[in-house]
Amino acid sequence: MATVTDWITHLTTDTNADKDGIQVGGSIYPGAGSSELLLVLLLIAIWIGWHVITNRSENNELSNLSRKRHGANDHKSNITDW
Amino acid sequence: MTNEGEALRVIFTEFYYWVTVVLMFLIHVGFCMYEVGASRYKHHQHTLMKNTMLIPLVTVTWFLFGWWIYWAFPTGPGLAPSIMTESTALVTGGGFGGNDLANPTNAFMAINLNDHLMGVFWAAFLLFSWTAASIVSGAVIERITTFAFGVLAIAIGSVFWSIDAAWGWHFDGWMLKLLGYHDAYASGVIHAIAGGFALGVLIVLGPRIGKFSSSGEPRNIGPRNPWLVTVGLFLIYTGFWGFYAACNVPIYDLGPEYGMEGVTYWTATNIYLTPTTLSGITMNFLMSLSGGLLAGYVIAKGDPFWTYSSGLAGIICASAGNDLYHPIQALVIGMIGVVIAYKLHYWVERKFKIDDAVGAVAVHGYAGFVGLVICGFVLNGYPSSGYGVGEMFDGSTYATINPLGQFIGAIVMFVILGLIPGYIIAKVLNGMGKLRIPREVEIAGLDYEMMESAKEDEKAVSSATR
Repeated sequence: MATVTDWITHLTTDTNADKDGIQVGGSIYPGAGSSELLLVLLLIAIWIGWHVITNRSENNELSNLSRKRHGANDHKSNITDW
Repeated sequence: MTNEGEALRVIFTEFYYWVTVVLMFLIHVGFCMYEVGASRYKHHQHTLMKNTMLIPLVTVTWFLFGWWIYWAFPTGPGLAPSIMTESTALVTGGGFGGNDLANPTNAFMAINLNDHLMGVFWAAFLLFSWTAASIVSGAVIERITTFAFGVLAIAIGSVFWSIDAAWGWHFDGWMLKLLGYHDAYASGVIHAIAGGFALGVLIVLGPRIGKFSSSGEPRNIGPRNPWLVTVGLFLIYTGFWGFYAACNVPIYDLGPEYGMEGVTYWTATNIYLTPTTLSGITMNFLMSLSGGLLAGYVIAKGDPFWTYSSGLAGIICASAGNDLYHPIQALVIGMIGVVIAYKLHYWVERKFKIDDAVGAVAVHGYAGFVGLVICGFVLNGYPSSGYGVGEMFDGSTYATINPLGQFIGAIVMFVILGLIPGYIIAKVLNGMGKLRIPREVEIAGLDYEMMESAKEDEKAVSSATR
């Protein structure tokens, strides 16, 4: 998984030094070159999952509160003093 | 990097954009404070969280597809030929189509020792995205569901503004080529589109309960906390410095860019690679802010809420051409924009019963629209971008700035990419029953249960300490 195990070797990674000068190995994150697609799929799953979970909890919250039919000024008795 | 001069230039540019991102963060802090200050006590916490949660939602989607859209669609739906070639390194194709560099699986979309700029560009544009979504957020407070707002924030923040930036900012943008569109600091690219989008949503969402009398007369629901609104708007002003700087390229050699053989000319440029100076735009920023404040104070008869908002509207109105205006031109343009935006706000409110809780449509939408149109007259004949000065890649020429092009550009931003998508998405959400909170909840207050729970906590702690 480790993309870099030795910085000197990594920073002088070079296939064509005579022509291009010393090249720096670009990516340094774990799993470079093999894990990107999986990471993006994971992010999509987190993103969609978050919407599903919060949508459900917001629905419950709104329907519970609307059933109680509080008045426009009822909240004032809940204002805290601390 | 093995060349010291090149390393300094690149790392300076990297640091420059990084600083703009930090400054632009204050825009969002300001918007959060402003919205909470404008909302009523019983809605405070939900109002805050609605705006806060657009940060991760837009960020994630900006990573997944928003940034890619900017690079993928500059030529629009076949409206103009592309000047991109393989030599520009912006190669069409790749696993995700469009521009492979902004593909979220690309090696440049992460720490990469061969690239110091992708991340800070991505972040600067992302902060613009937050701003676009946050503009909409203020208009719809106290009655929209968090779910619906999340969907709308993603739509404006990661899709529609990204398309408009591709069309009106990108060097290959069809609006630059065909219309001579010029919008250096985003009168239209951010503000008009977000204002138009907010208006589209508001048409469907409807006013807050009690905003209009039975005879249709609007009632004022003033800010709950004017001090929070004040500090919020000051922070937005402050963040706008970062916004302006982020719209510039800090150091660029225009000689080769313009095809001037053997000429070296290092300068700051706007986003279109035409020369300007950070020094000059700083004057224009302050003068347009001042113009907005002066006009707002008079027209709103000293009302703090509108005076502060007018300062912002003044900047927004002059932004399209603030890379080139004289400071006094910037001031006068800011004043004109404020008067029109203020008058339009109340006319639209009365005529169409639109409840824009913070005046976002006026300050961003109308002022941005007017700013684009004025720019077309004042800068008529200027090159719209650096790509029209010399030959770029394929030798294509770009239209110069002109009144008609700017007017059409304003329509594209406010109506086509703003109002219409906002209206349609809001309609769909409304049809699903997901747009607006139940009437009973709006009356009781979104925070009712949080407040009730806090009161019980207070009582419990109090009784335990007796």
